[in-house]
Amino acid sequence: MKLKDLPDENLFTQGHTACPGCGAAMSIRNTIRIFGKDTAVYVPASCAVVFGTTFPLAAWKVPFFHTAFENTGASIAGMKAAYEVKGKDVTVIGFAGDGGTYDIGLQSMSGAAERNDDVLYICLDNEAYMNTGIQRSGGTPFGAWTTTTPVGKKTQGNRTFKKNLAEIVAAHDIPYFATLSIGHPVDFIRKVEKAKSMKGFRFLHMFTPCIPGWKMDPAKTVEVTKLAVESGMWTLFEIENGEKKITYKPQKMKRVKDYLMMQGRFRHMSEEDIKKLQMWVCHKWNLNYNEKGAPGVCEIEPPEEHHGVTEEHREMHGL
Amino acid sequence: MFEVRFHGRGGQGAVMAAQTLAEAAVIEGNYAVAFPFFGAERRGAPVLAFTRIDSGKIYSKTQVYTPDCVVVLDDSLLDTIDVVAGLKPDGSVVINSKDAPTDIDLGMEVHTGAVNATSVALEILKAPITNTAILGALAKVTGIVSIESIEAAIKRRFGEKLGEKIGERNAVAARTAYERTVTGKSMGVKRLEQKKQWLPTHQELPVGGALVAGKTDAGLIGPGSFTENNVSGWATFRPVRDREKCTMCLLCWFYCPEGTIVRISDKGDLMTNYDYCKGCGICANECPVDAIKMVRARV
Amino acid sequence: MKHVITGDHAVAIGAKLCRVEVVPAYPITPQTLIIEHIAEFVNDGEMNAKFMTMESEHSVMSAAAGASAAGARVFTATSSQGLAFMHEMVYATAPLRLPVVMVNVNRSLSSPPGIWVEYNDSMGERDSGWLQVYVEDNQEALDMVIQSYRIAEDKRVLLPIMPCLDGFVLSHTVEPVDVPDESLVDSFLSPYEPDVYLNPEQPAVIGMLMPPQYFMEMRRQTAGAVEAAKEVVVEVNREFAKVFGRDYGGLIDTYRMEDAQIALITIGTVTSTARKVVDDMRNEGKKVGIVKLRFFRPFPAEELRAALSGMGAVGVIDRSISYNGGGPIFSEVRSALYGMTMPVINHLAGIGGRDVTENLIMTMFELTLEAAKGGKVKEVIWHETRGETL
Repeated sequence: MKLKDLPDENLFTQGHTACPGCGAAMSIRNTIRIFGKDTAVYVPASCAVVFGTTFPLAAWKVPFFHTAFENTGASIAGMKAAYEVKGKDVTVIGFAGDGGTYDIGLQSMSGAAERNDDVLYICLDNEAYMNTGIQRSGGTPFGAWTTTTPVGKKTQGNRTFKKNLAEIVAAHDIPYFATLSIGHPVDFIRKVEKAKSMKGFRFLHMFTPCIPGWKMDPAKTVEVTKLAVESGMWTLFEIENGEKKITYKPQKMKRVKDYLMMQGRFRHMSEEDIKKLQMWVCHKWNLNYNEKGAPGVCEIEPPEEHHGVTEEHREMHGL
Repeated sequence: MFEVRFHGRGGQGAVMAAQTLAEAAVIEGNYAVAFPFFGAERRGAPVLAFTRIDSGKIYSKTQVYTPDCVVVLDDSLLDTIDVVAGLKPDGSVVINSKDAPTDIDLGMEVHTGAVNATSVALEILKAPITNTAILGALAKVTGIVSIESIEAAIKRRFGEKLGEKIGERNAVAARTAYERTVTGKSMGVKRLEQKKQWLPTHQELPVGGALVAGKTDAGLIGPGSFTENNVSGWATFRPVRDREKCTMCLLCWFYCPEGTIVRISDKGDLMTNYDYCKGCGICANECPVDAIKMVRARV
Repeated sequence: MKHVITGDHAVAIGAKLCRVEVVPAYPITPQTLIIEHIAEFVNDGEMNAKFMTMESEHSVMSAAAGASAAGARVFTATSSQGLAFMHEMVYATAPLRLPVVMVNVNRSLSSPPGIWVEYNDSMGERDSGWLQVYVEDNQEALDMVIQSYRIAEDKRVLLPIMPCLDGFVLSHTVEPVDVPDESLVDSFLSPYEPDVYLNPEQPAVIGMLMPPQYFMEMRRQTAGAVEAAKEVVVEVNREFAKVFGRDYGGLIDTYRMEDAQIALITIGTVTSTARKVVDDMRNEGKKVGIVKLRFFRPFPAEELRAALSGMGAVGVIDRSISYNGGGPIFSEVRSALYGMTMPVINHLAGIGGRDVTENLIMTMFELTLEAAKGGKVKEVIWHETRGETL
């Protein structure tokens, strides 16, 4: 499907109460319109429950279910079982956050993956517990400020590196795993459609910036996502039947520092910590993604100036 | 007992303002409590906070229903919220507005102090954070605490959290707003009607709270009903598109987190429904041909 | 036809007869036999259900809730730690009005670890909105699975229900059970057809965030449904008796209460043993009777008041302690009997699987008789507990 062929109808309607510039809302909206009406969703405890349903208002125009936090895998498996036994052709999607996937929901997700339940699991990764007010999760990157990894006099920010969720999920030998970025629409649409066309346990790992959590200008959601990919902080790939394939190769890798400086959560980082994070990216890239023709991480370019937003707008957002 | 109700939007610091006012009252030897209404709304959505001040210990743990003073951090709230609800007749209103009190219609003639706290904040703090400036105006209008105590409380609370320098700059913002506040009687022309709410009995409530799409006399409920929620007030800026420049690449239509850029299929054109635009600016930032500019939503 | 089977086996057959559609399962002693039997039925093609091997009890109840919300008839079983582990999801299920049937095989909840009968697992869920019924023998276990679907899926109720049976004393004991014909069960129980569910053709949103201006009404509604279950339980029991020829009395049952001077309130398998003790004591001319508490939720307060009116004293057996002096049934009974003047004695016995013998039950009757005569009897008695005196 080309961009222009996407359906117009909002199955996740306007008027929802997500923060301006919400990466999760953007991802949900575009995923669900590709899937269409014969879909049912489960959302565990997260911002998406709050901004998508506040009694009696709801943004969803497809069946929506929510009970708890740590049970996305099991809940969607149960829903699917009912449709199967009733002979109904309904795609069941779970939209969980990084906390609900990397941490508290890992076991439930693993169960559904290992049973190869015929469901789509989507992890909306904004790299911390945002609904409770920005606390560190297993998906929080090295150096990031969160309220539970504060920038103190002795210790500054998160001291551990982002958990390698992809390898954990892929180790279940599921039919399809892919990482997505809202900043790369063609790749995004292709992967969502591919997941739609397949059976069995499919996992889409979406990179979804959080404006208050990342302390950044709401206009930059897409830009920061692109820069995450260009710097190697987020890599676009897919794993199909055990085979890993990079789906987007940056022309030249950008410096991790350029990505970090766009966001208040990283702005305190020392040169030493930035270097550590850059080394982590290099290592990750070299270890996993460095195939023939892929750029080397040390060939870095200076940051580009971006356009479109007025000076006043920048000022208003304290930039 | 002196009771204050703060109206703001998520992210504007209404809760911090309520706490700082309490701190100022305590500095003067009074007892004070401050608390938010814990809603589930996100950044930009209307929020409430309260402060109670008395000479002795305060036992009441309820919300404030008949305030002596109402503080409005964002005058766009006047479009959707009856901010003077329950305000005592001899009470007062403190409002962030570029207009003079006599030009502000609150639906009630009441002692009002107005200050353009947004410009004060932009000028001194270089950011539209108005919660400290508005406290200067409150000191001027109500006299419940002195401006000196407000300054001291700001330095203490903000200084502790964000560093001494920022604390001092915020104190300057409060003092500047104090000096610029204009007082007078507000207009009482049109009182905003409270939006009707669907309040079913337990027998009327659908079983298990499960909703299918429906309509009540207060509007839509259930699947797709968030369209009832006009969020235009959240926006500081709104996008304006130059039709000549637009190439209909549809990136803005794809990226918009609200889904409020719509295709008018028969005309082959795009339209932004401002009722649902929160003014994030992604469309402008991402437009490859610079066809979209962000402009102030309210001038 | 009579089958000589365990309680767990009887339960599994009950689930099969009810044509349950989704069975998320996780093993735990002494419930495991139930899901093993169901797995066999499914793999032998005798049962057309989706059997899901989950990775924990929390996921069992999550899948059960999801499947029920999507319109399926759901069955599962658990015990003790498993029930505790799914506690959050037990609470999540009832207010959403999902009529899941989950058999709990009663077993003590740690600490200390043990695998034997005690009611502190299920009684800890008393405020969850689930209905609870305790059975006396394997026949009642099977029959109550069938009745449970009728009660749970009744439009006046729409609540999950937990039939409870004593670990090992029933779960692993064989006795003759009359297994009804499938056609008879079909005539008694029609397929589950919810009005509102996760149906893409008429989408519903279930489990929305609920602000305070709606929350009390939601709680009140659930409370009303639990209350409404009382009449439904009675109706279903009556109709079941008509179709299958077995009458369990409804919310409570009584034994030789016609001219009784004192009564012992029993629950679970202790009831069965106590029936024999009553007969023996009646032969000695002692006017004693039994009130069998079947449903703990909804709690039959009025029925108890009516059954116990005029008693010289009432004894209450509790097979768990709520660390507030007595057991949970005792506090509920005493509250139900508020205003009535007879002494109420709490007999704590059999906790953690200690056997409740005929002699022990006789002692309970004797002490309750003593209290009726105005004798000095402790209000809460730890029976056969070393270091305690009667």
